[in-house]
Amino acid sequence: MKRYVDVYKQCMYSAIQTAAAYRMNFIVSSLITLIGNILFPLVTVLIYRAGTSFPGWSLFEVLLIQSIFTMSSGLSSLVFGGVLWTTMSHVREGSFEVILLKPLNPLFYIVATTFSTESAGLFLGGAALFIFSVMQVGAISALSWLQFTGMFLAGTAVLAGLALMMAAMSFKWVGNSRISELADSVLHVGKYPLPIFPKAVQAVATMIIPVGMVGFLPASALLGRVQASDFAAVLPCFVFMGAGIWIYRHMIRLYEGVGG
Amino acid sequence: MSVIDVKHLTKTYTTYKRGAGMGQTFRSFFRREEISVQAVNDISFAIEQGEICGMLGPNGAGKSTAIKMLCGALYPTSGEIEVLGYSPARDRKHYVRTIGAVFGQKSQLIWDIPPIDSFKMNKAIYGISTPDFNNRLEELTALLDIAGVMEKPTRVLSLGERMKCEFVMAMLHQPEILFLDEPTIGLDVIAKVKIREFIRQMNKKQNMTCILTTHDLEDVEELAHRVIIINHGEKVFDDSLQRLKLFLGEKKRVSFTFAESVQGTVFDNACTRVVERPSDFQITLEVDTAQISISEFIENISRKHSFSDISVKELPIQQVVMNIYETKKQPEPSL
Amino acid sequence: MNRFKHNWLICRSVAEVTYKEWSAYRTHSLVSVIVGPVYFMVQYFIWTAVYGGQATLGGMDLHQMIRYFGATALIGYLIMDFADWNLSMLVRTGKFLTFHLRPVHHRSFALYQKLGHRALGFLFEFLPCLLIFILIFGIDMRPASFPWTLVSVMLAFLMNFYVNYTIGLTSFWLVQSGGIRSAFMLVSGIFSGALIPLDFFPHWLQVTQLFLPFQYIAYMPAMVFTGHYSLGGLELSIPEAVAMQGVAVLVMFGLCELVRRRAMKQFTAVGA
Repeated sequence: MKRYVDVYKQCMYSAIQTAAAYRMNFIVSSLITLIGNILFPLVTVLIYRAGTSFPGWSLFEVLLIQSIFTMSSGLSSLVFGGVLWTTMSHVREGSFEVILLKPLNPLFYIVATTFSTESAGLFLGGAALFIFSVMQVGAISALSWLQFTGMFLAGTAVLAGLALMMAAMSFKWVGNSRISELADSVLHVGKYPLPIFPKAVQAVATMIIPVGMVGFLPASALLGRVQASDFAAVLPCFVFMGAGIWIYRHMIRLYEGVGG
Repeated sequence: MSVIDVKHLTKTYTTYKRGAGMGQTFRSFFRREEISVQAVNDISFAIEQGEICGMLGPNGAGKSTAIKMLCGALYPTSGEIEVLGYSPARDRKHYVRTIGAVFGQKSQLIWDIPPIDSFKMNKAIYGISTPDFNNRLEELTALLDIAGVMEKPTRVLSLGERMKCEFVMAMLHQPEILFLDEPTIGLDVIAKVKIREFIRQMNKKQNMTCILTTHDLEDVEELAHRVIIINHGEKVFDDSLQRLKLFLGEKKRVSFTFAESVQGTVFDNACTRVVERPSDFQITLEVDTAQISISEFIENISRKHSFSDISVKELPIQQVVMNIYETKKQPEPSL
Repeated sequence: MNRFKHNWLICRSVAEVTYKEWSAYRTHSLVSVIVGPVYFMVQYFIWTAVYGGQATLGGMDLHQMIRYFGATALIGYLIMDFADWNLSMLVRTGKFLTFHLRPVHHRSFALYQKLGHRALGFLFEFLPCLLIFILIFGIDMRPASFPWTLVSVMLAFLMNFYVNYTIGLTSFWLVQSGGIRSAFMLVSGIFSGALIPLDFFPHWLQVTQLFLPFQYIAYMPAMVFTGHYSLGGLELSIPEAVAMQGVAVLVMFGLCELVRRRAMKQFTAVGA
């Protein structure tokens, strides 16, 4: 266990060093990721500016959903963001065994070596928008904060699971650099108040691919709008992440040539 | 004592046929034709501790698949591998601590930061204690002469410097077996010599076993005690280096670019054979160095013709394999 | 006339080769078949919710709005390219030299490549998504005027190409043009109108857009499709809008040519 912590620390250190080696590039690419990701609330702002709204949601309440979504994405891609690209290039170049040659869990090794420093900017940008929105929506109770924290972690787990599933897909769909678009499109549902969607979509977004947990449900918790039944949706989130881990490891086993 | 024991090793891949035309494009969305590829076919061998064994074969012969299985990265389809008492793929996490690997074309160093940081990463990964790490690093840097190199970012290093660092990376945890895949590919002569010298020393001092795959016959001549040749997934040769030389004869390929036309001149004789003659000015000859030394041969040629360029090379590996096939039909030469 | 025929032959063979080359990745376009409809579905429900009681927003009713988003998605498949990325890659790796030595402009070559590439996009992205929009979502995807829409999409095809190619040309001067390019793509993504119709922007921004290339890439052809165009207080009939787009493409082409000539000077002088 201590060895795993040591390895992770060393990897974070290397990632920061790499970022420092290309300072300008790092700053520019962080800024662009940041701007690209905080611009999607622009659509929301323009909609409200035109004098209309998502029924039952004020502008700042919707921005709250979207800021939480951004923070969650930032956190998840900080840790899991590089897994897809690294897996893809290893599979394409046939060099995945470099990972298998280390006396570590291969999934852990990939996650550790792909620590994505540039996502820190994304997380911080989301956090800034979050603080701004929270200040506009009125008092929030301690219990709500607690519920929010739990749901926020569950939402981040969903993103991690999705990242791993996409990476697992790249074992089979060799060299398809558009795989990440699949995840992005599904996540799009999580950026808006879930009740605007029909019941079937809502069910999928809470129980099967629980993207509702990425922005909507944690925001609802902060606004005191969750019901007891909503907490049941936390479970599928961790199941989803577990599924991501399982599928990825299954793909490694197939790569090794077991049962394939 | 044999450290590597391979019995009836076989690996079969399944891939899919890709269509080209419009119709096939549509069809392949739904149904794909399976093709099974026999990458390694019933190979057996054993390797003793302290041996340096060269594995040769043309591209796509199956040698890298075999190495991947020996390293534990791939499971065999059938057959058995035992290395140091482990089954490589099944006991991989424990097994890989005892081996090191250097891949000429797959860097294990982190590109943008100095090698020393990659070394520290391996220290954490293999759980090497700080005093052990420092001693070992000191020893390796002295041997490879890279003291000033380790602190520079990897991307600014020359290929030779980088390869040396790859070796440090692979050797820090004191592996018992070292796998080398094309370790000298693309290197200049001086770096090649240095790296071969390093491998020899590690082998001698620590009785470290080495498995070496390469295209470069020179690597094998310089290092290997023993040679295994694989072609089309099958083992076609497995014997000592001396024996291989007997098969090959001592042959080299010499290419000339002449200053004047040599049209009509006959070059074939008892010790040379024309391989290629693309123009009146260029020719590639195969020279049997058992009968005539290279220097004597060049002297002979230069007395008759003036040339502007010359290169001397080992036989290409495809030629070696072909020679072995041909000789195999005849009774074996005796040592 | 002979020169025209010669160019046409080159065009056909380059497009054909590109088509075959990218056919190997045709399964990648399956991604579009999933992603496009999912984005469209989200847009559909966002706008259905937002309209609520309102009859019109930004001068469009809900039905028009949905058609607008369907059109931007589909037009995107017909006109997208990565000429900028491709050109900067050629410059960075030094492969541009090999094109410089051929008796055909690289820009023409790249345009022919785009034709082949988009022919593939038409079959494996545009058609499946069109069918999904019509059959599954039940959207009326008939353009207000088929000939005008066709012309407008073709102009957008050229516009997008010349814009991207010009961006790619900057890599003759900038070693690390990646940042600038992605910043540009970001701005272009917002102001092309694919996220939200430009009518929703503040008036001064709308007026600015008339003089920038972005709106001619997606917003204008999509509006021509819906049969009514307005931006920054300017109301144009469909033929007028298409004529304006044509002028914009000519201006962009001139700009591209100007930058290209300077780039070639730079290239032969420095040998970048």
